[in-house]
Amino acid sequence: MSTIAGGRAARRQTMRRIRPRRSPAVPLLVAVWAGAAGVVWLWWNNTPSIADDNSRILNAGRITGLLAGYLMALVVLQMARVPALERRVGSDRVARWHAMSGRYTICLVLAHLFLTMWGYALQSGKGLGGIVQQTVDSVNQLPDMGKAAIGTGLLVLIAFISIGGVRRLIPYDTWYHVHLLTYAAVFLTFWHQLSTGNDFAVEPTAKTVWYGLYGSVTALVLWYRILAPIRLNLKHRLRVEAVIEETPGIVSVLISGRKLHRMGAEAGQFFRWRFLAPGMRLSSHPYSLSAAPRPTMLRITVKAIGDHSEALRDLEPGTRVWAEGPYGALTASRRSRGKVLLVAGGVGITPMRALFETLPGASGDLTLLYRANSTQDLALWDELAAIAKERGARLMYAVNSPEGERPDISPDSLRRKLPDIERHDVFLCGPPGFAQQVYEALRGAGVPARRIHHESFEM
Amino acid sequence: MKKSHPIRRVVLATAATVSGIVLLLSLKPASDPASASAAGGAAPQQSAAAQESPQGGASDAQSGSVTGDVVKTQYGPVQVRITMSGGKITKAEAVQAPSGGTSDQKTELAVPRLNRATVAAQSADIDAVSGATYTSGGYKQSLQSALDKAKTAGGGAASAPSSPAGGGAAAQAKTVTGDVAKTQYGPVQVRITVSGGKITKSEAVQAPSGGRSSEVTNDAVPKLDQEAVAAGSADIDAVSGATYTSGGYKESLQSALDKAGG
Repeated sequence: MSTIAGGRAARRQTMRRIRPRRSPAVPLLVAVWAGAAGVVWLWWNNTPSIADDNSRILNAGRITGLLAGYLMALVVLQMARVPALERRVGSDRVARWHAMSGRYTICLVLAHLFLTMWGYALQSGKGLGGIVQQTVDSVNQLPDMGKAAIGTGLLVLIAFISIGGVRRLIPYDTWYHVHLLTYAAVFLTFWHQLSTGNDFAVEPTAKTVWYGLYGSVTALVLWYRILAPIRLNLKHRLRVEAVIEETPGIVSVLISGRKLHRMGAEAGQFFRWRFLAPGMRLSSHPYSLSAAPRPTMLRITVKAIGDHSEALRDLEPGTRVWAEGPYGALTASRRSRGKVLLVAGGVGITPMRALFETLPGASGDLTLLYRANSTQDLALWDELAAIAKERGARLMYAVNSPEGERPDISPDSLRRKLPDIERHDVFLCGPPGFAQQVYEALRGAGVPARRIHHESFEM
Repeated sequence: MKKSHPIRRVVLATAATVSGIVLLLSLKPASDPASASAAGGAAPQQSAAAQESPQGGASDAQSGSVTGDVVKTQYGPVQVRITMSGGKITKAEAVQAPSGGTSDQKTELAVPRLNRATVAAQSADIDAVSGATYTSGGYKQSLQSALDKAKTAGGGAASAPSSPAGGGAAAQAKTVTGDVAKTQYGPVQVRITVSGGKITKSEAVQAPSGGRSSEVTNDAVPKLDQEAVAAGSADIDAVSGATYTSGGYKESLQSALDKAGG
């Protein structure tokens, strides 16, 4: 009797420990839509009637303008590195939201500009052809419109260099620093919203709400992008301890510092790293922790694919490191089942390696499937083997055959390896093509989508 | 990890936004019931008429002019005055027309067309201006009554004895028009009615218009009018968002007060 009760209690205990934390994405999206509805209501409430085509155009301009002003604040908020977004929704998903809503906002801004100027041109008897003249007149005559014009110009520039084809031509750092001009653009375009916006003139509450929205976004950006990182780095004082070549082209960087367990980092998360070495100061890059954080040491493992990751090889021990984070939602808290399958492709092994070490689980609960081009490319293999042995976990790899043939990743092959695969939680990390292929195979093998945990930084 | 369909997403977002905005715009009534009932026959109609025809619309001096009955419409009263010469309508104008909110825009749009149509048709048989059906209806009715009066008075040489409350109020109370104050956005000119040493009415004869200025003017001027009557002086607060117009208004108001006093 007592053993049964004990067993039940123990199971309950286990289940409590692995109850997944829900992503706040849905409530956040509901709040965003509610806000948009509020903005439309503001317009609705202040517009008694629409008489003719001219006022139809002007009112379409007002709606698009209000929505653009609202979304602009949210687009900035998405990049404020708010922990609830970065760690619970996931940095990758938030970055995709940011890109999507950014594009949409730019379209709204341009529609607002065109419709409003067209409406004014009609009102002053110029017609559609006089739209350029009307824009010049409005910029000259209306309050804060000069600022707004400069801000809009910046937004258009930023949108232009973010178009896929253009962006690939520009070095990442250049793109990033131009992208930071968004803050200036948002500041410059903010004022004309209040001084010329009909709804803010009539409705003092709306003005207050608008100040509140932009004020709190500014505060969040200041805190989480500037002050919190300063505090973090002053407290932990990170330095490069050593650089180790794991396999040809893959290096691990050991980083020492003070009280590193107090940084709040979990296995599966990443930091944005800036190495204060010549030529590397200006750019920061996201790299996952490749081992569970220890009180005096963090480790990242990086594949040399770009200038920055190439330069990591030559870092001198003692180089100061500026870190921002921890970010990322691919952690143990996503798990909902006792059994876990980790799938890593190439250098995607880094967060999987940390999770393989730390995910709670009994012997036989954990399986790691590691895909690489060849056995020489299986970075960190010895460590993984040691962890597998110690924890009673299963470790499998899949490499190309000597003839260069790719291993079979299909629902059948997965089920052959793990007959109860549909009862697993799956954590997945790897290059986009690989991740897509594995995702489809997993779905085919009967793993529900909500139990496939994945981060992808592809836009 | 769901497959993304960028083109489908773009098409969907565009279609949803455009149809949402079109839906919102189409759900709005063509004219404003709220502001009409709020304005409901009260004073501000005259300012619309005054702006409508600044070249002497308020004066009854020309011979042969007949003013029709006031016709109440859903959005405010309409009153038409015609000028007859040799049995023909040479001029038609609205002494009163709906104003406030978007009614201003509609009045601005419809009244000049109705005036022209009247002179062209020489009768009350004119087409309604689309989007301003009620105003058109009221206009036609008032026009018909003016034509009837002209007939009964014996063929066109009659001068209407009655004049609308605001326009010809100079008889009992003193109406003074201030100097034109030039602002960045256009001239401002204020006319006040002084009775027993008090400002009983203040209105802008000229105010910035066109583009955004029309909106600012529609918003600010009624407030300034009220403030002027309440304060009894030019010591009134500027309306936020309409600083220049407020400044010009105060300047012109002060000059009107100076004239009235002197």
